[in-house]
Amino acid sequence: MVKIILRDKEYEVRPGMTLLSALMKIDILPESVIATREGELIEEDEILRDGETIKLVAVISGG
Amino acid sequence: MKCRTCGRKAAVNMRQHKLALCKEHYLEWVPAQVERFIKKYRMFSREEKILVAVSGGKDSLSLWDILHRLGYQADGLYICLGIDGRRSPLGEGVNYSAESQRLTEKFAAECGLKLNVVNVQQEYGETIPELAGRSQRGKGKPCSVCGLTKRHIMNRIARDFGYDVLATGHNLDDEAAVLFGNTLTWSGEYLLRQAPVLPATPGLARKVKPLCRLYEREMLAYALLRGIEYIYEECPFAVGATSIYYKELLNKLENERPGAKLGFYLSFLEARKKGLFAEPEAIQQELHPCPDCGQPTSAPGLCSFCRMVKKD
Repeated sequence: MVKIILRDKEYEVRPGMTLLSALMKIDILPESVIATREGELIEEDEILRDGETIKLVAVISGG
Repeated sequence: MKCRTCGRKAAVNMRQHKLALCKEHYLEWVPAQVERFIKKYRMFSREEKILVAVSGGKDSLSLWDILHRLGYQADGLYICLGIDGRRSPLGEGVNYSAESQRLTEKFAAECGLKLNVVNVQQEYGETIPELAGRSQRGKGKPCSVCGLTKRHIMNRIARDFGYDVLATGHNLDDEAAVLFGNTLTWSGEYLLRQAPVLPATPGLARKVKPLCRLYEREMLAYALLRGIEYIYEECPFAVGATSIYYKELLNKLENERPGAKLGFYLSFLEARKKGLFAEPEAIQQELHPCPDCGQPTSAPGLCSFCRMVKKD
C-alpha cells in the first residue's frame, strides 16, 4: 500500500495508480497541495509505488 | 512529464500556463516572471530602497529571496504580533510569533540581509490578541486589529527610514480571493484600491505586490525547491477565515478550468483600467495628518490606529 500524509491525516491507496488518481480517490484537490517523495517534488502523472510514503504540503496558508 | 526547456523530468507542472519545468529551470522561471511584472507595472527600480514586509511565511520569504537574487536593494521588516496560539498550558504546539520571528531572522542572517524588527507589545504596550480583546474593532477576532496595526507600522518604518517603496508578498490567490469577496458585495471603494501598485501619496509610501500574478502553488513550489525554511503552521486565528474559504472555492473552479484565477484577476485589472468602476473623484476622501503619529487619516482627530491603542 501507499501511505499519503497531509498535515496530521494519513490515507492509504493501492500502488500502481497515478498521484492524480490517488488524490481524487481521497478527495483532495490537486490544486490545493504539492506532493513530495523523499523530499523531491512529484507531479500528478507520477506512478505511486508499493510501500512508499507521499507527503502532501498544503498550498493555502493563513496568516 | 518533461521540462519544456531541457526535457528532463519536470518538478512542477503549471496547468494554468500549459508549462512544466524541472527544478533548475523553475527556479530561473519564477524570478524572471517577477522581474517581468516589476517592469510591467513599474513597481520600482534598482536605484530605489525597498522594504519587504516579511512574516516568516513562504510568500514573503520567497519574495525577499527573489528580490535579493535579482539584485534589488531590499531590506526586511518583521512585525512581532505577540500571537502564541499554543493549545495547552503545557505548551503543546508552536508559539506562532516566536517561531515565525526565529525563521525570519535565520533567513536574514543566512542571506546577509538587513532585517528591521518591530515588537508590537514593546512599542504599544499590548500584543495583538490583547489589543483585539479590549477594542471594538477586534470584537470576535483579532484579524482587523492585526491588519490595521501591520499597515500602520509598515508605513511608519518605510517613512521613518527613508524607504522608497513597501513590498508585500501577496500572491495571485490572495488577490483573487479579495477580489472575489469584494465582487460578491460590490465594494466599489475596495475594488478601486486593489492593484499591483498603490502610488505614494503625502504620508503614505508606495505599496507594491510583485507576486500578484504568481499562484500560491507556484510560490510554495519555489520555497520548497529553494529550500527556504518558512513557518508551516498557520496563524491560529486564521481558522475559519473567509479568505481561506474563498481560496478553496476558487481552487475548485481552477481545478475544472485551469487559468480561471489568473483570468479573473487580469480581466479585473483591465476592466478597472478602462473605467468600469466609479470615477476616483466621486469617492475621494479628504486626508489630514493624524495629530499623534502624523500618518494620513480621513477620520476627524486621531487616526484609527492611534484611537485603537489609546487606553481610556
